[in-house]
Amino acid sequence: MPHHLAHVIGARPNFIKAAPVIRALRERGVPQRIVHTGQHYDDRMSDVFFRDLEIPTPDVNLGVGSGTHGEQTAAAMVGLEREWVADPPALVVVYGDVNSTLAASLVAAKLGLPSAHVEAGLRSFDRSMPEEINRIVSDLLAELLFTTSPEAEGLLLATGVPAGRIRFVGNPMIDTLLGQRAKFDSGVERERQGLPETYGVVTLHRPSNVDDEASARAVVGALDGLSALLPLVIPLHPRGRATLDAAGLHDSERLRIVEPLGYVTFLSLVAGARLVLTDSGGIQEETTILDIPCLTMRPNTERPITVTHGTNRLVAPDEVVAAAREILAGPLRPTGPRPPLWDGHAGERIADEIVGWLAARAAGTAA
Amino acid sequence: MRLANVVGTRPQLIKAAALQPALRQRHDEVFIDTGQHWDEAMAGTFFRELGLRPPDKILGIGGGTSAEQTGRMLVALEATLRAVAPDAVVVYGDTNSTLAATLVAAKLNLPVAHVEAGLRSFDRRMPEEINRIVTDHLARWCFAPTEAAVANLAAEGLTTEVHLVGDVMRDLAARTLSEVRRPSALAGIAGGGLRTGEFLFATVHRVENRAPDAIRGWVGLLDTVARADRPVVLALHPGTREAMDALGVVPSTNVFVVEPLGYRSSLAAQLHAAAVLTDSGGVQREAAWLGTPCLVLRSSTEWVETTEGVAASSVLVGLDAGKARDALDRLAPPDRAPAEAARRAREQTIETDGATESIARLLA
Repeated sequence: MPHHLAHVIGARPNFIKAAPVIRALRERGVPQRIVHTGQHYDDRMSDVFFRDLEIPTPDVNLGVGSGTHGEQTAAAMVGLEREWVADPPALVVVYGDVNSTLAASLVAAKLGLPSAHVEAGLRSFDRSMPEEINRIVSDLLAELLFTTSPEAEGLLLATGVPAGRIRFVGNPMIDTLLGQRAKFDSGVERERQGLPETYGVVTLHRPSNVDDEASARAVVGALDGLSALLPLVIPLHPRGRATLDAAGLHDSERLRIVEPLGYVTFLSLVAGARLVLTDSGGIQEETTILDIPCLTMRPNTERPITVTHGTNRLVAPDEVVAAAREILAGPLRPTGPRPPLWDGHAGERIADEIVGWLAARAAGTAA
Repeated sequence: MRLANVVGTRPQLIKAAALQPALRQRHDEVFIDTGQHWDEAMAGTFFRELGLRPPDKILGIGGGTSAEQTGRMLVALEATLRAVAPDAVVVYGDTNSTLAATLVAAKLNLPVAHVEAGLRSFDRRMPEEINRIVTDHLARWCFAPTEAAVANLAAEGLTTEVHLVGDVMRDLAARTLSEVRRPSALAGIAGGGLRTGEFLFATVHRVENRAPDAIRGWVGLLDTVARADRPVVLALHPGTREAMDALGVVPSTNVFVVEPLGYRSSLAAQLHAAAVLTDSGGVQREAAWLGTPCLVLRSSTEWVETTEGVAASSVLVGLDAGKARDALDRLAPPDRAPAEAARRAREQTIETDGATESIARLLA
């Protein structure tokens, strides 16, 4: 009889989403095992990262490392299968939309193990995004789908997911944000970066923005225009910036390129910023709760609730400057109605649902 | 269009053979075999019998656990599809090769055409069901063989580029039928000597039928229905045979265990048999087109058309020997079976759906 549940985590955002779920399950006495695929590893995911965020260190690291999508998915699948054939969990919990999420969903399904998908039902309807492929597959194969916003249920029902599998629980990433918020010190971090009181934060990592030469030129043009309006800080990994460099990106007084930052440092800067320009998923959500205006440089978003209920707006590179002018002319801390259940208790709701599901299954009443 | 045509198993090679002539009339084809079922024995007669071109690329990936096999395919297909740079990728059915090619194509942003889309057993313990679901949802074109398959896809929100084209295997069976009408088509099977309507033809290949209890179940069932004057010819997948031998189970002397047959021999055996017993969806359908009574050795089937309705000559018996015996007494009683089989061999015709032509035309 399997007794524990297994969390599968492959990248930093997965840990940030998993932390509140793991904590709430521990409080409820559920035995659990944390499997880190090792898909992303950098020194910001050291012991300090886990201690700071009160995330338990993984029980096992499969050491998958970097590689192509095929290589990463393949290595994670083989490692996870070996883990679970030896010691099958009662439930596999997967997070978000990375290759480890896909691999874990596939392996669990093939081994006949039930899986739960945290952050289910997000859709950009842009299949050129590898994350969209991962989301579609993980949602199709999950027995329990935890959604962060009400519209996800309709999207899932439309793909044939039975209503009984879907639980609207809110956003566990926001649990971590609210839990850590007391540690944010915008003043100290701003001064450490030598920034004036009014500044912007930029993050870019999507291949469609940073790997394609024409796109990179448009992005660098947008950054030049934006930095003329206010000083910017942009954390960039040296690995990911070759194309941007070639397109004319360079460090300056008005555009500070810095090494990637830790969670608390980065969100301290975000919390004190006048605006944020990004192409990432999670930052659209974090700025919505921090009341920081956010410009998302993408043609679509899988998180439309950050636009309807938050501070987010989608822009093309050539719209960035005009949109930023509007923000600068507007209120300092605009606030939307806020998405429902983004209240810091999503992890507890997920844990309660899982405990109930495990009990029902043990009693033979769950499908 | 430049099409990467990806296969891995015997049934997929046969489906590719059905489709290849129509595809090559309109498109450039790069034929890729993952090697999921590859063996040297298949290379010669198997291809000649089907009129199939040898693959342009053979990736040589067989064996291993499910994740190991799928994983190695992901890596090899990613490199291959990057190099081939096709306009679209054609996949068939529900194997690990289907899943791997679909995932790789989706990540490379290449459109996928799924031949035999929309089948569902609604039993997710079957690895094939997982492969089907994922492939259908990631495919650009779903080529469905039946109305029920179209309805299954619609229930999962899949309605755009879903095409009811019919069954490509039906086209191939129709093309091949005239070559197997004479009893001489049975000559090479089980050492020869088989007589029309005086034997049963059985195949077992599913993973679910390799478990010890399942093996005892179907061996017991075949022993029950086999008689000296009506032997069973049992074509066994090598993996199934290995599992049976490892268990120390030996079928009765009226059961002749043979290697999997080539396409033409298999069609001949089905046409001339008193009845067919199988766990294969493909064999189940072929038996239905040929009009041969068929006992399905599974508890569920994704090919509902062949087991529903009053005229159905196909019955789900699972591994229940009593049910199998009763079904045979009803559908193929020994006093009538030889005449029935002889009549089928002479007169049976197969109307085609034109599935292969439709697919080639729609891929534009």
